[in-house]
This record gives sequence, structure tokens and C-alpha cells, in this order.
Amino acid sequence: MTSVIGRSVTRWDTLGKVTGSAVYAGDVALPGLLHGKIKRSTVAHARIRAIDASRALALPGVRAVLTHADVPRVLHYGSPHPRSASVTKDQYILDTTVRYHGEGVAAVAADSEEIAEAALELITVDYEPLPALLTVADALAPGAPAIHAVGPGGNLVLDPVVVTRGDVAAGFAAADLIVEGTYTLGRPVPAYMEPNVCVCQWDALGKLTIWTSTQSPFMVRGTLAEVLGLPLTKVRVLVDHMGGGFGAKQDLFQHEFLCALLAQRTGRPVRMEFSRKETFLGGRTRHSGSIRLKQGFRRDGTITAREAEIVFDSGAYGSHGPGVTAVATASLTSLYRCDNVHLVGRCVYTNTPIAGAFRGYGVVQSYYALDSQMDEAAEQLGLDPAALKLMNAVRDGDLAPSGHPIVGHGLEDCIRRGLEETGWAARRAAPKSHDTGRRRRGWGMGCEMHGSSAYPGIKEQGNAIVRMNEDGTVTLFTGTTGLGTGAHTALAQITAEELGVRFEDVAVVHGDTDVVPWDIGAFASHTTYMAGRACQMAAAQVKAKVLARAADRLEVAADDLDIRDGVVTVRGVPGLSLTVADAIAAERGIPAPQLVGEDSYRPTKSYSFAAHFVEVEVDTETGQIDVVQVVPVHEIGKVIHPVAAAGQIEGGIQQGIGHTLTEDFRVDPRDGRPLNASFVDYKMPLAMDMPPIRTIILETAPDEGGPFGAKGVGEDPIIAIGPAIANAVHDAIGVRFRHYPITPEQVLAALAEKGATPTPGAADQPDQTDQ
Amino acid sequence: MTDGLHAITVTINGEARPLRVAPSRTLLDVLRTELGLTGTKKGCDVGDCGACTVLLDGTPVNACLVLAVEADGAAVTTIEGIAPAAGQLHPLQQSFMDLGASQCGFCTPGIIVMAKALLDRHPDPSEEDIRFGLAGNICRCTGYTKIIEAVKDAARRLAAAPPPAGR
Ligand code: FES
Ligand code: FES
Repeated sequence: MTSVIGRSVTRWDTLGKVTGSAVYAGDVALPGLLHGKIKRSTVAHARIRAIDASRALALPGVRAVLTHADVPRVLHYGSPHPRSASVTKDQYILDTTVRYHGEGVAAVAADSEEIAEAALELITVDYEPLPALLTVADALAPGAPAIHAVGPGGNLVLDPVVVTRGDVAAGFAAADLIVEGTYTLGRPVPAYMEPNVCVCQWDALGKLTIWTSTQSPFMVRGTLAEVLGLPLTKVRVLVDHMGGGFGAKQDLFQHEFLCALLAQRTGRPVRMEFSRKETFLGGRTRHSGSIRLKQGFRRDGTITAREAEIVFDSGAYGSHGPGVTAVATASLTSLYRCDNVHLVGRCVYTNTPIAGAFRGYGVVQSYYALDSQMDEAAEQLGLDPAALKLMNAVRDGDLAPSGHPIVGHGLEDCIRRGLEETGWAARRAAPKSHDTGRRRRGWGMGCEMHGSSAYPGIKEQGNAIVRMNEDGTVTLFTGTTGLGTGAHTALAQITAEELGVRFEDVAVVHGDTDVVPWDIGAFASHTTYMAGRACQMAAAQVKAKVLARAADRLEVAADDLDIRDGVVTVRGVPGLSLTVADAIAAERGIPAPQLVGEDSYRPTKSYSFAAHFVEVEVDTETGQIDVVQVVPVHEIGKVIHPVAAAGQIEGGIQQGIGHTLTEDFRVDPRDGRPLNASFVDYKMPLAMDMPPIRTIILETAPDEGGPFGAKGVGEDPIIAIGPAIANAVHDAIGVRFRHYPITPEQVLAALAEKGATPTPGAADQPDQTDQ
Repeated sequence: MTDGLHAITVTINGEARPLRVAPSRTLLDVLRTELGLTGTKKGCDVGDCGACTVLLDGTPVNACLVLAVEADGAAVTTIEGIAPAAGQLHPLQQSFMDLGASQCGFCTPGIIVMAKALLDRHPDPSEEDIRFGLAGNICRCTGYTKIIEAVKDAARRLAAAPPPAGR
């Protein structure tokens, strides 16, 4: 049979997307729909003395106003992986204290958006200002006021994460070279295209239905139920299509609660949709902060010791701070082998926008530091950075950050393949012309590894229900969310392959918490890996049932049967076969019993690997850095859908280029007011900026825990690109940047300091030596 | 117009639609709400993202920056009106599906409409033409690689078999 694994079948979710018929939460129209809006704080830290909503309530067309006095006061996990160590319980729906500029303080429902917006202006809030702690240094200063009453104190989100292996002091003592640096991390935002939105409606029996754009519908259900005091049977969460999330849309963003309560109070359905500005203000960012990293090396390149101190800025709430800090800290045990490590990670509350989960989950930051420093160490050791990375690359049997053994030699394979593809050795050997020419080119490489699944931080499970219908077609029920990755198509491919039916005969039901099996959410690069494996297991059960029935009909042993393309065949007996539909057809008028398989898969951990090779061109007159080309090499075990996998890689690279060169959500250092909360002021790489990307996917280290050996790919591509660019910039102009984003002004300043501005009249030609 | 509403007629995807709209209402809101044409997306509402791109008398515009009253007497084509006939797809739509140019899909309607405007003017665009043509359309998922491949592919399909006039 032609295998559907590894084939880029047409994703079944795209027809609606290209025709405009796909329904996103904001497209839901209901009779009597009201429009909700959130009043947001204009100060970074204050106690609310009083809120006067009387004038807003008097405005014709306003149906309800909610302030902290009107909503349940229940402390909740803003990011709801219930009671996992990855998140914090530090939020109220509306509090009497505001902790960042843009926090919701009241909400309105009105007949139109215009009226709701006008009503917001009529609400007056009397703030008693509190000192705004806008940097980690402010928040950690002795005597700094506490932003939260919960947590370990000292404005820490959690107790410091400490990871120690071996003997660091001995390791440094044995080193011939010590390299140390502090890396400063910008504050990029996910900038998903669909602003946060939900629609809420209550029925006569007191059941809430919410259409919402979330990656984790069951977490939304659980949190709404807990905070609103409802049983799970009275909350139904619907997600059909969603316009991106990139990790951030695991959280609840205040509006889900407020929309539900406004709908309850008015007895009408209510829609609440963020403006683009609100997605910046009330959204989630990547954790900014700093990483001090110190490594010892022997002359031959062996790493003898690694010490790191990570300090992340959590912003006003904890969200995923604990998980991100733990993952980032543990990640520095690995990638490049080192027996002696001492790593400390801290996460600190400040009065700035909330940092949360975002593709790469702390590892974008940690490997930016680690991989950049490896490049620097190679230079000082007089080695090719690729050679240094290759000799230290983690391999089969090494301990991964999660504590599990690494399977295979994925990282080495990625590096070697990339070296071949880019002709790296010849490029390195070519003479550089650092000191002349306006436009200078350079190559860099960056490496990464990332786990498929959030285990052990979050104890996850993937679930699936597979049902065969009377005509032999198959319905797959999955609780995973269709984030845009094509994961549902991959799940259908896995189900079809395992069961032996055609891909076209598998339909996917998703997006309704009343119907589909429980799911923790679509994140952590785990959907294909974990839910995919559950689909495979459930499909195998159905297959066994079909074969048992076919065995009766064909009067052969079930063990001798197999299913291919929807036809049951007998091994060694070419003429004898039966379609699946015939095999399960009614017998003497009695229909087949339910042909349902269901299973749960509890993953351990599996790592995917990548090495990115990048060419940049630096304009020494403007400071502009252009990425000229990218050759990403990824090892992901087994490719289920090559086009979708490549799409993940290309999109991750786009975001990573943005992180490294232009994206930084900034707040005013004086008062915490966001400075660039729009797509014009927050600069992302677009069609004109994106370089050609030549994606290479390897299947050299399959994981036996994943379906057909598959591992995750969603997060990996955003990680390796950053250090690859920074290293390429160094190759081009000889300047080592230890932060992101690297702006044109900084390039010019660094060149001026180095005395390396172009000679006037020098040829206005790119440095072509690498071509 | 005692209620403050303006009576206008806009030809939407080939059909004349009489409407009564407030003067402040954008074409985008009227399309999405009054007309139920939710394929056109709102990514920013201030002209920064291109998710709301529609054709106004054949010219691509950000529907969030056009007041509905300004479209009085004009012809508007949205993503719902791109296909040559019901049950068929425009080559751009087919190419976007076949080549994986749509991930979350939120940018897709705007990008397909913008790409149609591009191909209407330049049936054989270079890669630079395509990148320039889509410069105002934000896609955060794809890195644009597959979008550009899909537009090239659609141009080839159109050259091989031009479709009947669209609506
Ligand atoms: S919604 Fe019109 S340009 Fe963004
Ligand atoms: S496909 Fe998601 S924004 Fe383009």
C-alpha cells in the first residue's frame, strides 16, 4: 500500500481558509449580540481607591458595566495547566491593585463597539499610585515593595531554579581558557495575526458556551468553571479555526471571564475582541532579562565547566514564568556536553507587560547565549566553530535536559549535513575582507535541541477516540487545537496509516469540549508526537476489531490478515480479500457492534535537533543587517507531512530573524507606558525582508515513543536562527554582539568604536568572497 | 436619513447590495457584520496588516481604512468572490492549498486578494514583484516562502488556462 506517512496530502483545513469560509471565534454571529470592551489602566502600579461607572451606565446603549466589586474574587492560574509546576496562581479577574500599564480594571457591554468604547471613556478610576518597578534591578533592590502577596517574596515568581552536576570549581581549574559574557535579551511578542477574541452565551439551564481563540480549550474550560463556580458540564468551549497563538494563547487574558460575566448579567450573547494595541498591552511577551554565562575549555575544545545565571523578567504576573525558567535553566546542561555545570535561574515580577509562553519557551534565550559563546570560544581557541560544536554535540545516551537519555545522533547529523550543503569548509578558508567595502558578508551557524512535550514540567497525556462508521470510513475525535500547523491533518494521516484505510476516508472532529477527548492543549511541539501516538494506538484497536470480524467472514485466522487501502487481504492468498465496509457490514440484519478505539499516551520526552546556517550582509554605512539566505537542517525522527513540517521551520525562522534584528516591545523607562504597541512601530520581517530558505529535514534519529518515529518540530526553528545570525554578523564585521535585537544604530556604534567604518571611496560592492 | 444613516449601493462580488450605514462605519465592519462576509479579516483595523484587503473597483484597498459610504456606487470583490463560480476555486486558492501557503489562515484571504490584484496587472511576476506586491500583508506563520511559491504557481496555472471572468 502506498503509505500516507511522509506525503504532503492537501491539508483539509485549508479549503475554508482560502475561500474565506473558515470560522474563527470573531466570525461567530448570534442574534442579540452585544459588544464588550475592557477599560485598561493608564498607570503601571497603583491601588484602586474608587471606580465611578455611573456615567457609563447612564449612556444609552450600555447594557452592563463590571468592576472588581462585581466579579468573583478567586485567585486563579492565569495560565491554566492546573497545579503543574509550570505556572503560578496569582491573578484575579479584576483586582483592586493594578500591576502594569494596560491591565483591565473594568468592562462594558453595549449595543455596539462604538458605544462600548465611548462608555469606557466615561468610567473614572481613582488611582493611589504605588512605586512602579520597571526593571528587574528595581524589583530585586533591597527594600523594593512587593508586587504580589503570593510567591516566595523578594518579587521572585518562584524560588531560584538550581541545577548542578559534577564539580564546577574543579572544571574551571582544569580549563586552559575561560570565556564569560552577559547576554541581554529583548522583549519580542508573538504577534499572532488574530487578535484575542471570544464570544460568550448562556443557556436557560445556566450553561456557558464560549467560542474563543485558544490553544488549550480544556484549560479554559477548567479555569472558567473553577473561578465562576460551575461544574465542568456547564462550560462548553468551542474552537474551530484560530489565527495563530505561538504559545501565548495558552493563557487566559481577563476577557474570557469578563465576557462570560457580561453575558450572564445581560442575558445576551457578548463578543469581546482585542484591538491590535490591546494584544500588545494585555497579551504575552517572551521573557526578557539577562544571562551571565561562563565556560571553561581545554585547548582541544573540551568543555570543562559551565556556569550560568539566568534572570528573567516575568512582568506583572507569573504566567509561565516557572516553566520557562526551569526549561531555560535545564537546557544549559545540554546541547554541548559538559560534565560540570552549575546553573541558576530566577524569574522576577516587575510592573511591565506579562511575559508568558512563547514558542521556544526560554530556550530561545538560553541557546542564544550558549551558541554565541561557543562561537566566541572557537575563535579564541583557533578552531572552526563548526568543529568545536560538532566535537561537543550531545549524542546517543547523553543525559538530556529532562533527565532522559538522548536517542541517536541527531545534532551531529544536522551539523554535518549543513556543512556539506553550504560548502562551509571552503567558505571558512576563503579570505575575508573585513576592513574594506561598504557591504560585508559573513556566515554563521547556530544549533539547538528541543523537547517534544512539556514533560516533566507538565505531566501530559495525549488522547484519541477513533470510530469506524458503517461504510468503512473513520472519524477521529481529538481534543487538540488547530493552531494553523496542520496537526489535524497529520493526526488523520497517522490514523489512516495505522488502520490501513485511505487518508480521504478519515474525518477529524475537534474543537468542542463537550464532544472530544480531554486534551491539555496544543503547545510544547507535542501534538503530532503525543496526540499522534494516541491516535495510532486507538486506530490499532479499531483495526483489531475489524480484523476479528473479517477473520470470521473469511474463515481464516485474524493473524493472517492485514488492511491496505481499505481492503482486508490475506497474507499469502492473493485472490482472497474483503473491503473494510464488507467486513463490518450487518450480519443477518444485525449491525456490527461499535467499532471504537480509544487510548491515552503518556509521553516521556523526546528531543528534536537543528543546525541553522545563515549568510548575512551588513551595510557598514547604515548599520542594516540583511539575512541573505538560510539553510536550516532539522532532525525530527520521521516526517509525517513534509510541506507542513517545512512550513513550521520557515515560519519559525521568520520570527527568529525578527527577534534577533528588529523586534522589541518597549516600555517607557519612566512610567511603564508601552511605546510601540502597533504593527507600524513593532517591526517584524515581512515579504520584502525574508530571505530564501532551503529547508533540509533528516530522519536519522527516530523516537520509538512517537508515531512511526516522529518527533516535534514546532518550536525548534525559532531557536537556532538567533545565534546563527549573531555569529554570521561577527564573521562579517568582526563584532561580537551579546544581545538581541541587534539594531543598525548598535552596528554603527560598534563599527565606529572598532574604527572599522568603510574607507571613503571603497568599492560599493558586497563582499563576494563567499559566493 | 433622519436616523443618521446613509443609503448606499455597493456591488459586492457581482451583486448590487443596497445598504443603510452610519457615516463612520468602515467598509470592513459592514462586510463582516451587515453582510456576513467574514472571510475578510480584521488584524489591526488601522491599515497596518493587510488582513482586510479587498478589491475596490479592481484596486486593492485596506477595507478598514475605507468608509462604507466611500464605496457607494463601487464594485467590491472579497475573498468570497474570487472563485470563478460556486464549487470552483481560483488558481490562487488552489495553489495556496496545494503548496501549503496557508497555516493559521488569518492572513490568507487578504493575501490571496492582494495576489489576485498583482496577477491581474502582472500575469508573469518576478519573485521581487511578488514580494513587493505583498509588502503590506503581514503573515506571521509561514515565512512567506510557500506564499511566494504559490503565487508563482498560480501565475503558471493562469497562463496555461485563463479562467472565465470572475465575479
Ligand atoms: S485590518 Fe485593515 S490593515 Fe489590518
Ligand atoms: S498563515 Fe497565519 S498569519 Fe499567515
